[in-house]
Amino acid sequence: MTTAAEHRSAFRIAGKGIPVKDAREKVTGSLKYAVDMEVQGMVHGKILRSPHAHARIVDIDTSRAEALPGVLGVVTHNDSPQNVWENAWFNYRGRVLDGIARFHGDDVAAVAALREDIAEEALELIDVAWEELPAVFDPEEAMQPDAPLIREEGNVRDPYVVEWGDVATGEEDADFVVDCEIRFASQQMAPLGRNACIAEWSGDRLTLWTSSQTPSELRDGLHEAFGIPLSRIRVIALPSGSSFGNWWSANFMLITAVLARKVRRPVKIELSNEECMATVKRRHIEISRGRMGCRNDGTLTLAQFDHIIDNGGYGFKDDVGFFCVDNWGRAEHGHYAIHGVNTNLLTAGCMRAVGDVTLGSCVERVADMCAIRLGMDPVEFRLKNQIKAGERLRMQHSRQYMKGSLEAYLEGIPEETRKEWPRLFHLSSGSTDEILRKGAEAFGWSGKWKGWGQPYAVDGPRRRAVGVGTGAHVCGVEFEGNVSAVVRINPDGSAKVHCAVGRQGQGSETTQAQVAAEELGIPFDKVEIETGDTDSCPWSHGSLASNTMYRVGWATRAAARDAKRQLLEIAAREFFDSPPDELDVIDGVIVSTDPGKRNIRITVEEALNHFRGADALGQASSITGRPAGPMPPASTFARHFAAHFADVEVDTETGEIRLLDFLATQDSGTIMNPQVMKNQMIGGAICGAGFAIYEALSFDDEGRIRNANLLDYKLLRAADFPLRDEVIYGESYDPVGPFGARSAGEAPAAAAGPAIAQAVYNAVGTWVDMPMTPENVVAALDAAD
Amino acid sequence: MIRLTVNGRTFDVEARPHECLSDMLRRELGLHGVRVSCSEGECGSCTVIMDGEPVTSCLVLAMQAEGRDVLTIEGLGNEDNLHPIQEAFIEEQGFQCAFCTPGFIMAAKAFLEENSDPTAEEAAIAMSGNICRCGAYPYIVKSVLNAAQKLGKGRPGDEGRSG
Repeated sequence: MTTAAEHRSAFRIAGKGIPVKDAREKVTGSLKYAVDMEVQGMVHGKILRSPHAHARIVDIDTSRAEALPGVLGVVTHNDSPQNVWENAWFNYRGRVLDGIARFHGDDVAAVAALREDIAEEALELIDVAWEELPAVFDPEEAMQPDAPLIREEGNVRDPYVVEWGDVATGEEDADFVVDCEIRFASQQMAPLGRNACIAEWSGDRLTLWTSSQTPSELRDGLHEAFGIPLSRIRVIALPSGSSFGNWWSANFMLITAVLARKVRRPVKIELSNEECMATVKRRHIEISRGRMGCRNDGTLTLAQFDHIIDNGGYGFKDDVGFFCVDNWGRAEHGHYAIHGVNTNLLTAGCMRAVGDVTLGSCVERVADMCAIRLGMDPVEFRLKNQIKAGERLRMQHSRQYMKGSLEAYLEGIPEETRKEWPRLFHLSSGSTDEILRKGAEAFGWSGKWKGWGQPYAVDGPRRRAVGVGTGAHVCGVEFEGNVSAVVRINPDGSAKVHCAVGRQGQGSETTQAQVAAEELGIPFDKVEIETGDTDSCPWSHGSLASNTMYRVGWATRAAARDAKRQLLEIAAREFFDSPPDELDVIDGVIVSTDPGKRNIRITVEEALNHFRGADALGQASSITGRPAGPMPPASTFARHFAAHFADVEVDTETGEIRLLDFLATQDSGTIMNPQVMKNQMIGGAICGAGFAIYEALSFDDEGRIRNANLLDYKLLRAADFPLRDEVIYGESYDPVGPFGARSAGEAPAAAAGPAIAQAVYNAVGTWVDMPMTPENVVAALDAAD
Repeated sequence: MIRLTVNGRTFDVEARPHECLSDMLRRELGLHGVRVSCSEGECGSCTVIMDGEPVTSCLVLAMQAEGRDVLTIEGLGNEDNLHPIQEAFIEEQGFQCAFCTPGFIMAAKAFLEENSDPTAEEAAIAMSGNICRCGAYPYIVKSVLNAAQKLGKGRPGDEGRSG
């Protein structure tokens, strides 16, 4: 059997820390985001926003706005298509405009004008008569039967339940049970870099430019809303600033299209920073209550959690991705129930490591409470109770989407396709095991861990201690469609990948090109990529649910393999007179494994120009490759894992937390590009650390966001996070992911918070709820006294 | 109409009343490397160097730039001829989405002129006027240290300097 190391030693391009493809554009400022785009003849739009958290428009008079010189048109709910559209994973469900405001700042109407300042002035000339409706902001109040009704479908989604074994037995088998409740504040994606959208209609065909990580899903949303064929919609997704889930499809993009259709001009709407933070999305407010049963030997017998998520006005989720369930899935009996509920707050949706940042933090805390009862080292407790490769997964989302039984589902898939699948509902590769061991060693855990609630150093009010936390997340989901990719080999021997993953800075344009170049056997510099144009890229989920490396990477590799097969068939027939499987491409040259044919060396370019010849009708060939079949359902077997180690100092007088050292470790299978990966890991850790110690949206009594700006919404800066730049990788090799790789970007955001929270516990001897701001730390210390 | 120097060339530009320098540079001169995010001087994305001093150009009125000498990322280096700080940011991958990168690079340029041989801690503090939401901070700090070395080596009479 080939080992992971042997596999990887043969790679020429996969696994190399190549600078990202757009590095030069990025450091010279020439990279174009949607805010930088212009289209000939375009005009500018602005959106009127609701001054109420919940209200119905009784009358809207736009005549004064229409009369303002420079105004080209106004749209209200009377101009909006009345079809419901949905964002990916139920992050939005609603009409573009429907005459009801469901949160403070909700979209009401929009104006197009020659200049942005004219459009802005015109907004104030729109006269709206409102009927205010009762509003509800607390998710538990919104679940009550007599709560104000926010949506026609009702406020409450059906509970999403994951269960195994039997709760009563898990309780009986336990020597003790511990429980806790945490109410999590809402984190804001706080995107750096605004977004804009330009919509242009040509007859009944629509072209839309915007920064988006989900071009295909945005096209689907436009199709649903406008009821026009997909073939008439072209989305050109441009690079975005930091997204963290903010820039999927957003209703302002659809409003731009409605406005452009009304005024018959290309329209650009650029959001202000406040609009980016107060009108698009945020992380859910979540309430987690749970308990775990444990034996005195440290074996978990029970994990039981009840979790409420607030969807705000337009989210429609019944679940959050919560792969902490799998990570702690060795618990013998389990029951997790998620309750999605609407409130009259800004729409909430999937922010980086959705569910695993929140519910995951609660699960990690309850697990730590078990370890505290036992006096057991938290590294050891995790090694004992966390899933290992090959073991059964508990999250079985996919079953809900299958028609009939698993057996019937499998029978419907051709044997030829199915035979390479890993065992469904069992973890394909990796775990926290290796990275916890390696990380503990590199971090010097055994020297600094002094026992639960024990700092390793005390200097007056300042106490220093360490903590460890773990996180897991999925490697893409398949419920909304089958990802695909196209790889074209051009007549000059270069190749182009088309895969709709967008560009939010995560380096996918580079790592996908590495996958294609490795498979094709041509130099990396000859592979270019298109990630945003839905006219050339086949459908893909985009960059969400850690889909990119695992699922899109699989599709890119499969497309490259198909292209290469076609190339070698030509070469075998025309040059080698041998079966194609004796041929390979190395560094752009086609060679044979047959010793007698070693002297034949044909470049890819020569092979594709073979038919050009002397005949005037001859022409060079190009080749188009695509995946031959569907990918196995990744969510049934693949996860990625992170383990973080934090060293903190807590000032018990001021409540200030300083991060002294931080080590990120991760098991994502083969690391396609270590340069890209390090940034994903540390960037994820900083996102998680922000959630843990700084970040929270503040809502006033009317549901208005008080801190929708970067002055009042605090983010970590360079001096706030330790400078250790080395990270540690696990060595696992995935049987399905491209060249053994799995996904990367979300588990690290989930692992950081629990590591820091545990370190703070060890420093001060009490738990502090997130965000662990100085005032929350002081309040927790006062409460513990 | 105001006259100013931008990236070594003189321009007469229309500056609207109340328009900030960042908007004017983007609108009139097409310098889209001047990024605008927060518009309140917090994020540092719009940092340019005016008469040798780093400024957040969203807080400077365009009118105030009359007669001034402004350097933006476009004047520092281009894709065919990168500045050593830009090379260092590529080598250390001191960015992800890169919306903030021009601002960080301009802030780094001003900082390294004040302190040509900083420690990591000094560089981290100096870079804390800017926000990188993607969280590339350790690699941004490494980029600044790497750039200090490159610039040090390029300085006349400083060839023998070691890292």
